[in-house]
Amino acid sequence: MAKYQLKINGNTHEVEADPQTPLLWVIRDEVGLTGTKYGCGIAQCGACTVHMNGNPIRSCSVPVAAASTQSITTIEGISEDQSHPVQKAWIEAQVPQCGYCQSGQIMSAVSLLKRKPSPSDEDIDSAMSGNICRCGTYTRIRKAIHTASKEISNGSN
Amino acid sequence: MEATNGINRRKFLKITGISGAMLAVGFDSLAAGLSKDSVVKAIMAEDFVDGTALHPFVIISEEGPITIMATIPELGQGINQGIPAIIAEELEVDLEQVNIVKSSASRKYGAQSIGGSRNTRMLYTPMRKLGASIKEVMVQAAANRWGVGTSDCEAKSGMVHQKGTQKSLSYGELVKEASKLDMPEKPMLKAKKDFKIIGKPMPRPDLSLKVSGRADYGIDAQPEGLLYATVERCPTLQGTLTSYDKDAVMAVPGVVKVMTVTRNVYGNENTGVAVIAESYFAATQGRKKLNAQWDNEAFTKISSESIREEMLELADQDGYEHVEKGNFNQSQMDGSGEVEVLYELPYLSHTCMEPMNATVHVKTDGTCEVWAPSQRPQIQRQFASELGIPENEAEDKIKVHMPYLGGGFGRRSMNDSLVECFQISKELKKPVKLIWSREDDTTQGPFRQQTMHRMKAIFGEDGKPIGLQHKMISQAITTQGRPGRNRLPFEVMEGINTHYDIDNISSRFVEYTGQVPIHWWRSVFGSTNGFAHEGFIDEVAIQANEDPLQFRIERLRSEPRFVKVLERLKKEANWDQKLPDNEGKGMAIVESFGSIVAHAVFLKKENGKVSIPKVVSVVDCGTYINPNQVEAQLESSIVYGLTAAMKDPITIKDGAAVQANFDTYRMLRMNEAPRAVEVHIMENDEAPGGMGEPGLPPIAPALTNAVYDLTGKRIRSLPFDLQKV
Repeated sequence: MAKYQLKINGNTHEVEADPQTPLLWVIRDEVGLTGTKYGCGIAQCGACTVHMNGNPIRSCSVPVAAASTQSITTIEGISEDQSHPVQKAWIEAQVPQCGYCQSGQIMSAVSLLKRKPSPSDEDIDSAMSGNICRCGTYTRIRKAIHTASKEISNGSN
Repeated sequence: MEATNGINRRKFLKITGISGAMLAVGFDSLAAGLSKDSVVKAIMAEDFVDGTALHPFVIISEEGPITIMATIPELGQGINQGIPAIIAEELEVDLEQVNIVKSSASRKYGAQSIGGSRNTRMLYTPMRKLGASIKEVMVQAAANRWGVGTSDCEAKSGMVHQKGTQKSLSYGELVKEASKLDMPEKPMLKAKKDFKIIGKPMPRPDLSLKVSGRADYGIDAQPEGLLYATVERCPTLQGTLTSYDKDAVMAVPGVVKVMTVTRNVYGNENTGVAVIAESYFAATQGRKKLNAQWDNEAFTKISSESIREEMLELADQDGYEHVEKGNFNQSQMDGSGEVEVLYELPYLSHTCMEPMNATVHVKTDGTCEVWAPSQRPQIQRQFASELGIPENEAEDKIKVHMPYLGGGFGRRSMNDSLVECFQISKELKKPVKLIWSREDDTTQGPFRQQTMHRMKAIFGEDGKPIGLQHKMISQAITTQGRPGRNRLPFEVMEGINTHYDIDNISSRFVEYTGQVPIHWWRSVFGSTNGFAHEGFIDEVAIQANEDPLQFRIERLRSEPRFVKVLERLKKEANWDQKLPDNEGKGMAIVESFGSIVAHAVFLKKENGKVSIPKVVSVVDCGTYINPNQVEAQLESSIVYGLTAAMKDPITIKDGAAVQANFDTYRMLRMNEAPRAVEVHIMENDEAPGGMGEPGLPPIAPALTNAVYDLTGKRIRSLPFDLQKV
């Protein structure tokens, strides 16, 4: 066991964990932010996606030791009140069904739109195919990304 | 976020599943005086709802807020909103006026199970009556106060108005008096034309939680002092535990206990070894040291292949009769041509995105608190008997939270993870969260059934079909562990359409008894029967030299609802339009769980890749509550069904499931999903049909019928690789 300082959503958390503990479990069980989900543990499904230093990572496959002092953003941190353009677009398109995969979907979408504010459908396929949705919300996700893209592109003008 | 006496506010809100706005009572006053080790009284969401309950489902506060309890487990099908919406309609309140609060599991809410796409169908009329009864006592209370007749009053948007005057009273102002009146036995229900809520798109209240990581799923439960558990189970599903290395596991830092747990799967008691630790990571590290050994020789000989061979041997048997129209055997002798083919489908896992899990706290004071992400959450009586609690005290002493479910698809109607977790917590008298790893979840079953279908068609001299037989060979769900029932199990012939106007139709079931456990899976036998039946009907149509869609229209004239759906599909899919050579189209229609769904799948081959540019769907689900949810459930069933058709099977080899995680049990992803799904809903006044499952059975045959159209290749065995056609 070792002590780590984790910078999550702008706050610093002191945690104690085995260095090899996947960041996912530390975020969920030690810090108490359960919006990031466990889906597979082998970086195949995307449910655990968070941002580290602005880039999407699979927190199930990153040991907490590697995340120490890095800047982490989870789903809870992208807005105070569901006001991020991606969240608003997700609600407008009524995207979630069971919703379990959606934290990861949104984190991947936010990351895509940061890199490409006006993504093509192929860009969306590329960026989002790492996130599995068992409830089949893919067509709505695509639509919501295009909607969010319009708001983000307008905002940056 | 500061912890208050060990209970974190955010965790608390998540645990109880109520939004911050609903929390009327000061948080600190609740938490005050509680230490980490004290026995905390289990607090359920409904404990916070202020007001008078005219019925457990409807609580109206004198201050104004109207609460409708959402009592059916929400697994993505939107029932949490759908049922309250039905009540609100007849209650004459606007959805914006209503707080929908997710309830706990309790018999005071009646039946709370989900499955079979049943709930809207079963609850539509009773919930309308409930809303209407409460409205009527409100009107009566207002009439009493004003000294007028009820026909002089009108209810609207949570207020009662005296017609022709400015007088009005809110439900909040009336509730105390209304609560003293008798609820009418036969309230008047609204005419459909007067519906303000039902039938219109309505935004779901759980979505804002689900886009911000605040929805409480079972796996998110975090009572204080939580321990984490993982269970090693026999790889061949059944087998006897002979040894394991307890000392090696206990030596792993963080591990606090190693013990056996037993789950009953359709009559088989399956024992596994649980490792319990202070963190989930430590538990999984401990589990790696177990070296569990099993006596399972008898099961290692089982494989998908051996099962297939055994089924093939049964295919000549007569089995049970389902439908015998005319005389199929005679038609075989009278006909001039015969086609006989075999259709086959594999075992499949449910693969909810949230793997199986449960959290249970058997407390030192003899009470129990449970977080049950279950399709059958009323677990009190089962646990009460294990704890020696009298049945009439079960509900008081055992509190069951109903978190959101990260998918169910039928798997969560089996409470085996709850039972395993309960055994651990009962032993330790601590809160325990049991998480099934994705590998556990995929490989341990129970599964969607493996099936074989012997299809026969007899043709007359004019080349038209005069006979059709669908003989289905499979295990049945309801006869597992219950030998000797000797009649057709009710669930196995779902989705076989015997309405087709062919003179001699025979559908029969030959029961296969196997060791691999099966269970309800989205659309159950519709998922396997639909593929074989509608794939074969397509073959028959083409053999008879007819367009597959028109063939169905002509031969379903006796069933107008089918014909209307088919004609609508023909129009919306532009079916008669000739496609270029690199495109194909296929369709299928199946009735299941009270609704009729037809899909047209369009395929395109370009740059060596085959894609699905579009699916056009037509659904007749009778009266529907939220058209947005109807569309969403169709989109959902399409993706679930396409995954089953095109991605990996569960292969049994040496008695164990081969596929374990998403690297070998692959899912349909954004890039392979249909680019567009167009849904058209038939409008009629029929009773509500189900919507969670009916979209699934027709998608696989529509897809393979499109493959035939595109390539001339007939797919009769699933799954297949779309890129290799």
